[in-house]
Amino acid sequence: MSKSTVGRRNLLKAGAASLFLAGVPIAGFTKDKPLGSISVIILEGGLDGLAAIPPIGDADLMRMRQSISPASYLPLNDFFGLHPSLQFYAQLMARGQASAVHATAFPYTKRSHFEGQNMIEGGGLSPFSEKTGWLGRALELAGVAGRSLSLDMPLILRGHRDNDNFYPASIRGSGRPPADLVEMIAMGHQMDAAQMFTKVARKSEERVQVPRDPASLAAYAGRVMAQTDGPVASVIRVGGFDTHANQVDEGDTDAGQLARQLSVVDDVIAGYRRGLGKAWDDAIILTLTEFGRTVAVNGTLGTDHGYGSVGLLAGGALPSSRVVTNWPGLSKKDQFERRDLLATIDYRSVCAACLEKALGLDHDLIASQIFHQPDLPRVFEHLFA
Amino acid sequence: MNEQFRIAQRIGLMFRYDQDLPQDMEAWVQSQLQAPSPALGIPHAYAKVAQWPDELQPNLAKRAYMWRRYRALKKQEREGKNGQDTEAARQANRRNHLMREKDEHKFVQRNVYGADQVKLRLTAFWANHFTIGNTFDTGNMIGHAIDKGILAKLNGSFAEMLYGITTHPGMLTYLDNVWSAGERSEHAKGCHRRPNCHAGLNDNLGRELLELHTVSPAAGYSEDDIRGAANVLAGWGVDFQEELPGMRKKIGGINHWNAYKKRWAEPGTKKVMGQLIHAGRGGLRQLTDFLASHDHTINYISTKLCQHFVSDNPSKDQIESVKSAWRQGDGDLPTIHTQVFKLAIAAPEAKFVWPMTWLFQVVRLSGATYFKGWEDIDNYNNQLMSSKKVLKELGQSFWSLRQPNGYSDDRVDWMSAEMFERRIRFADAIHKNGNIRRSASEIMHRIGAAKQTRNLVASVGNSPRDQFIALMCSPELMGLEYV
Repeated sequence: MSKSTVGRRNLLKAGAASLFLAGVPIAGFTKDKPLGSISVIILEGGLDGLAAIPPIGDADLMRMRQSISPASYLPLNDFFGLHPSLQFYAQLMARGQASAVHATAFPYTKRSHFEGQNMIEGGGLSPFSEKTGWLGRALELAGVAGRSLSLDMPLILRGHRDNDNFYPASIRGSGRPPADLVEMIAMGHQMDAAQMFTKVARKSEERVQVPRDPASLAAYAGRVMAQTDGPVASVIRVGGFDTHANQVDEGDTDAGQLARQLSVVDDVIAGYRRGLGKAWDDAIILTLTEFGRTVAVNGTLGTDHGYGSVGLLAGGALPSSRVVTNWPGLSKKDQFERRDLLATIDYRSVCAACLEKALGLDHDLIASQIFHQPDLPRVFEHLFA
Repeated sequence: MNEQFRIAQRIGLMFRYDQDLPQDMEAWVQSQLQAPSPALGIPHAYAKVAQWPDELQPNLAKRAYMWRRYRALKKQEREGKNGQDTEAARQANRRNHLMREKDEHKFVQRNVYGADQVKLRLTAFWANHFTIGNTFDTGNMIGHAIDKGILAKLNGSFAEMLYGITTHPGMLTYLDNVWSAGERSEHAKGCHRRPNCHAGLNDNLGRELLELHTVSPAAGYSEDDIRGAANVLAGWGVDFQEELPGMRKKIGGINHWNAYKKRWAEPGTKKVMGQLIHAGRGGLRQLTDFLASHDHTINYISTKLCQHFVSDNPSKDQIESVKSAWRQGDGDLPTIHTQVFKLAIAAPEAKFVWPMTWLFQVVRLSGATYFKGWEDIDNYNNQLMSSKKVLKELGQSFWSLRQPNGYSDDRVDWMSAEMFERRIRFADAIHKNGNIRRSASEIMHRIGAAKQTRNLVASVGNSPRDQFIALMCSPELMGLEYV
């Protein structure tokens, strides 16, 4: 390790630490406070963390990635910038209601989408080892229900029988089915299928018209979560982060595939903010992605599958805005397997901290019963103290 | 259910309401594997079943031309030129140059009217295995890939199908390979000398070729193997937007399928999972043949076939029997399929029916006219939705933008209240707007519905509509319980 690298790393740690100090801690936070809420935005395809929150203070960034790094980034501090698509998120950052965790990942290094997605949703120790999801198991432990904003029930929420999903239908010639008919059909089924039809019967009462764009769904989720007996968790999926080609537009690094998808994420966060209203104060929203992308740009103005990425957090439950990281560096020898950003923070710890904050669950319980990793590091103080 | 319908539900799309039932089901399965596959449909609602006209089934060259034309008129629309920025011109451009809605409608119609129901189920399995998502620029190609790359190849070997679909422009575009160039290719070297020129490898297809299409991660390959495969693939495929002169220059011809750009290819021998692959155009066939007969491929796909047709959790013996058929037939697909169907027919437990398969089965059993004719595809109908809209609402379409691992065969992945609500609503809509020719009780009689199903239908009262919904959403018709 060269001297300059050591220097840069130390500087960085200091930078991150000074951000901690800038935070305003919540006085008298106790576990018996009313529950908060937790919402997960799954970024499908593998988010390029180095483009979403570019480490502009790392000299290697421009040397290695100038052709895809956003030119008009918004500076967060001396070291990190923010992609210009994340306008609303930037406002939240300025108000102390958004944070980021950088150089982080689930402990999965094989770069397969489908194994990786299974890991980040299942929260198991290896791909396909779990039939339920970490959020579903957490809700089961806390005895509360959540809701997914999708036509299917994603793995992450499985594990609590009352978890439900929502995705408004639009079928010509059919209205909401009558509850008594659906109840009879439910009685003709067994086990999980009977449960599903029972949920449909329950839904027959509620008549809602919600557009299907992610921001409207998020606003709807926020509204129902804000209700007294509403779900305390929600999940929304945004695809399109597998930016192998044309991650940026030719000649405009602020535009392109990634810029478009990050705008969607920004809109989703804004939708939650709108929908949650006062409940925003106790809300925490976090992103989840299966892996980051290669440090190097590939031959098609994009990036291939990598390892470390960034997690975006937002919500009134955050005491201040921070970029939490233990920056590993970008030079070839600092890269994971000489190609990817190294992950120095286990993102399961971030998920655990959010669960601890939102659901009031004990960290050791989360570590052992939800993630099956009793020695999972606790990062709660770094985010919420 | 009686034997005919039990088997047709499992490996086919159900016999249509007016179709004679075969007596010898074993012979029927064999004849189905060899059945001719004309694209059947109807030109107008209530017209006689006929073959789709050739002009609605263009070849690849024509599809590429339409795509280029679409893009050119879009550009004029943006620039406000030649009157292209009017709503009428916009619609005409879509109608005349985009194939997605026509192809999807053809797919739906042949699933509703086709006499080759078993082959259509196999087509769905393989089209899902070789998923080509709709990234919009693939919209004009997906239908062609399904017809010519899957359905037309069902009676050959797996190796043929693998090579065909890997070199199809749909796959090469969906997984970015048309833009990939070897790092040491002539093109990349020339490009690196110019400012702002980008050229190099994109490993997307190389990775999924190993992970999803052949050996699966169980084979334990490395990043170097993935890179090796991507290097073999470098140079394959031409951007659909490429004009013909440029295309001739790049590949020496104008055929989009099997298009190989020598200047983009990585020179030299490559290595993939220990196998040396020669330089040049023949390298890809060498690679796909190697992968097609690999033990891990045979194991992975035999398991997948069993999960699709036999059981969510097939036994080791069941999988082994398919693997041995695979080896005995040297990858001959009808031999493999025959063994899978043998297991499917003998399976002791229910197999969940995919939403789209269920929809086709409901329409065929009831004789509903739930889809418009091909000549009415652009005409609004206040009762019948477009095929595109129907499959989108149902949550399963081969023309959706989705991930390359395709749709799950495991019933737990389809367990959601919203998904189940769609079944009820579509059964309702088909009953209301589809002018059904067979009622719930007539259908139950014909298929020999189980007692539990009859009890369920009886429990909802005398309304023909409620009975129809209850029947179609019964455990028996959804493939949830074997009764």
